[in-house]
Amino acid sequence: MLQFLIRRLSGAVVIMFLIGAFTFFLFYTIPQDFAQLSCGKNCSPENIAVIRENLGLDKPITTQFWEFMMGIVSGRDFPQGHCAAPCLGVSFDSGQFVWDSIVDRFPLTLSLTIGGLVIFLLFGLGTGLMAAWKRGTALDKVVSGSSMVLSSFQIYFLGPIVLSLLVFNTGWLESPKYVPITDSPGQWFMGMLIPWAVMATIFTAQYTRMARSTMIEQLQEEHVRTARAKGMRQRYVFFRYAWRGSLIPIVTIIGMDLSALLSGAVVTEFTFDLAGIGRLAVEGSLSKDLPLTMGVMLFGAFFILILNIIVDLAYAYIDPRVRLA
Amino acid sequence: MNPIRMRTVRAITVAIAAGSLALTGCSDSSKDSGKDDSKSKEDAKAQSKPVAYGDAQASTGPAEAVTGAKTGGTINVYQQSDLSHMDPGQIYVSDAGQFANLIHRGLTNFQEDDKGNLTVVGDVATDSGKSSEGGKTWTYTLKDDVKDEDGNVITSKDIRHTIERQYSKVIFDGPTYVQTWLSGSDYRKALPDGPYKGKHLPDSVLETPDDKTVVFHFKTAQPDLPQALAMAGYAIVPEKQDTKEKYDKAPASLGPYKIAEYKAGKSLKLVKNDQWDEKTDSVRHQYVDGYTFTNTIDQASQTKRLIADRGEAKNAIQFTDSVDPAQLSTVIGDADAKKRTIQGYQVYVWALSFNLDSAKMKDKKIRDAITYAIPNQSMVQADGGRYGGEVAGGLLAPTLPGFDPKYDPFGKLKKPNGDPAKAKALLKEAGFKEGTKLSYAYSNTPRGQAQMLIIKDALNKLGFNVQAKEIDRATFYEQVGKLKNPYDLYMTGWGQDWPSPSTVITPVYDGDLVADGAPNYSHIDDPKVNDLIKKAVTEEPEQAAKTWEEAHHAIVEDTNPSAPVYYSKQMQLYGSNIGGARFSTESSYIDINDLFLKQP
Repeated sequence: MLQFLIRRLSGAVVIMFLIGAFTFFLFYTIPQDFAQLSCGKNCSPENIAVIRENLGLDKPITTQFWEFMMGIVSGRDFPQGHCAAPCLGVSFDSGQFVWDSIVDRFPLTLSLTIGGLVIFLLFGLGTGLMAAWKRGTALDKVVSGSSMVLSSFQIYFLGPIVLSLLVFNTGWLESPKYVPITDSPGQWFMGMLIPWAVMATIFTAQYTRMARSTMIEQLQEEHVRTARAKGMRQRYVFFRYAWRGSLIPIVTIIGMDLSALLSGAVVTEFTFDLAGIGRLAVEGSLSKDLPLTMGVMLFGAFFILILNIIVDLAYAYIDPRVRLA
Repeated sequence: MNPIRMRTVRAITVAIAAGSLALTGCSDSSKDSGKDDSKSKEDAKAQSKPVAYGDAQASTGPAEAVTGAKTGGTINVYQQSDLSHMDPGQIYVSDAGQFANLIHRGLTNFQEDDKGNLTVVGDVATDSGKSSEGGKTWTYTLKDDVKDEDGNVITSKDIRHTIERQYSKVIFDGPTYVQTWLSGSDYRKALPDGPYKGKHLPDSVLETPDDKTVVFHFKTAQPDLPQALAMAGYAIVPEKQDTKEKYDKAPASLGPYKIAEYKAGKSLKLVKNDQWDEKTDSVRHQYVDGYTFTNTIDQASQTKRLIADRGEAKNAIQFTDSVDPAQLSTVIGDADAKKRTIQGYQVYVWALSFNLDSAKMKDKKIRDAITYAIPNQSMVQADGGRYGGEVAGGLLAPTLPGFDPKYDPFGKLKKPNGDPAKAKALLKEAGFKEGTKLSYAYSNTPRGQAQMLIIKDALNKLGFNVQAKEIDRATFYEQVGKLKNPYDLYMTGWGQDWPSPSTVITPVYDGDLVADGAPNYSHIDDPKVNDLIKKAVTEEPEQAAKTWEEAHHAIVEDTNPSAPVYYSKQMQLYGSNIGGARFSTESSYIDINDLFLKQP
């Protein structure tokens, strides 16, 4: 196990470095002057030269890359002050330390992810299992049909409808807003309720369909039929044999969805005017803000790699046939 | 509607050249006759008044009270993006400028009455300034007991520090007028490290004989100095508070509010600055307890929230964003929402700039033909219709002195959708070859894309073969600002820095300022225009007004480097609990100085 973890974590560091290098040098293939981009209304050659120097763009690209990567390990000094490790540089656009911006935005992203995850796992897996249990019944047909319809919805379509209905037309709820849970648990919950509900509706439908189909598939497996033939109780067979077997694809998808959400739920954040990691990524990309884009990319990559490792570990727990070398 | 504030009537000196059209007037829609485009050029002309230079009496606080104003409560501010800067030295764009009025103070400021008439008054100074030596020397005396948020009294050393730090590399985004006037275009060489290593400008340039007096010495007359100093970019940074680069995220306040919490890209909370004394301020009020900015709400969402007017939206305003063009008809059709709007001209003029370095754009007849052919009204429609703009006859906005609403050399007022027949005749005279390719650069915004289709269609009908080149919105001005750009024509906009043509004609049409990244997008370098600019900037205001008009006509009629397309207009919404809302001629946005909550 330890050997597995060391090998995977070492690999993750190499992949992170490669993602960083790829993003950095890809940025420089864009034919534009970052100093001029950061220059406002009064863009004289003298001012551009000052900006170039202030941003460190007057140094060779390889030096800039090396300084950026070293900053992650040991921190860096900027005119704005010392940027402690893991330093992801200073945003060209806002002048803020990128790491500070990420730390500031992450609680919202985490709230959105955790709240959404709880709802769509509870409802999605629950209704999926019920549909599989009652396969062929009216309940199965209703669940299957509605999940088919809802999974074809998109957040940018459903979100504005829900806002119009619950906020703008009736005033039953306030516009979504992030309030830290430490400030007010009640306001935190109410502020995130609509984004969670809309996001979870779409994810729930997808998980319902997946849980139903994998359970039905598992229920037809030989070992399940053998268990039934041995006279085991239906409920025991369902959960002990079939459910465990269906968990592998579900855990894989949860890992992928979780890493995607933690890297930033872009559409959800923009639909509900929230400022999380997703919005930060878009801001960095639109303003051609290299340090910000690099920082968010690496942060997202970190979650993808870590969650991949966790999912691999979960496989071993769920299915003893999976052996970790 | 607010009453006329008598303080502005007391203004003494009138600077005619610095005059401004108070075109927008009051905005209380309850008195709107239903004539949505009442801010017509005729109305604007009728309301036209020159900017006045205020004396000590006009500069003494408190500001004239707003009728019915109450104290308390917090105003919610909706913005779709964060402020570009908070360090005053770096502030040169409107969103930060609007914000600056809440926390920063300068030597001078614009005071505006409810008809939009402007007076330059002393802000930290006792008056708008006393000039001598024909305008080459300006003397300012500071008011007593103006303090920063920590209670430090502002002295002349702080003013010197404010000016001198603009010479350092810490500042690169703000205005450069005063530095250039004091030390020439290479001003940074005069004090490369600013004041940070103990060096200062010589007394022959900037003098502080005592704690209360500041004297500016210029090589040539600078009649616009009081207006230049009213820019947010010249607001005071106290020497003790200056943290250089860090100041941009945590500036010290001199104004009625100070920063309580700032989260970059997200939010900003302002609370009352208890060191601000209303007796020292003849412009600002401190009616509400604070402002809460949310900088992540896009224009469409702002509009939806404010139309619905529920919950916290009742206490909300649009700060520098406007009503979502797609929801304009909803706003206009909803009587409740419509009475919560303000509207007026913005300072921007949109023009189709011709790249005069392109061989295809060398012939003036070709440029004139394109100008005649442009369907200006359709271009306006693509930017919000009559509430988003108005067909332009010239290149000076209705917010500038010298604006002539009848000036229309290309007949756009009579034929707002162009005159293709006249255009074709001109092309024939020019020996135009059918199928000539034209490269049109446009920004990949919804407006840019819509306008591209209009331009392409209009010019292709003349026989051109328009090649539309999309440019990312973030890099658009960088790309078209290059001297050797590969495009033949592009839409560009520019707005005044203060109500004087000098802040438009000089940066955009002065041939001496053609450079990479400079806003002379057409690269016009016309000796006659250059000479007129040189003449106007040193003339006495009344004479300068005539010279600017002559320069404007020479640019449009003799050279035509940029086809006038439309004047920009603005409509904003606010919540039903907001009091004192009016459109500001000076900022072209909601007047931030007079706001209060009807039910705090």
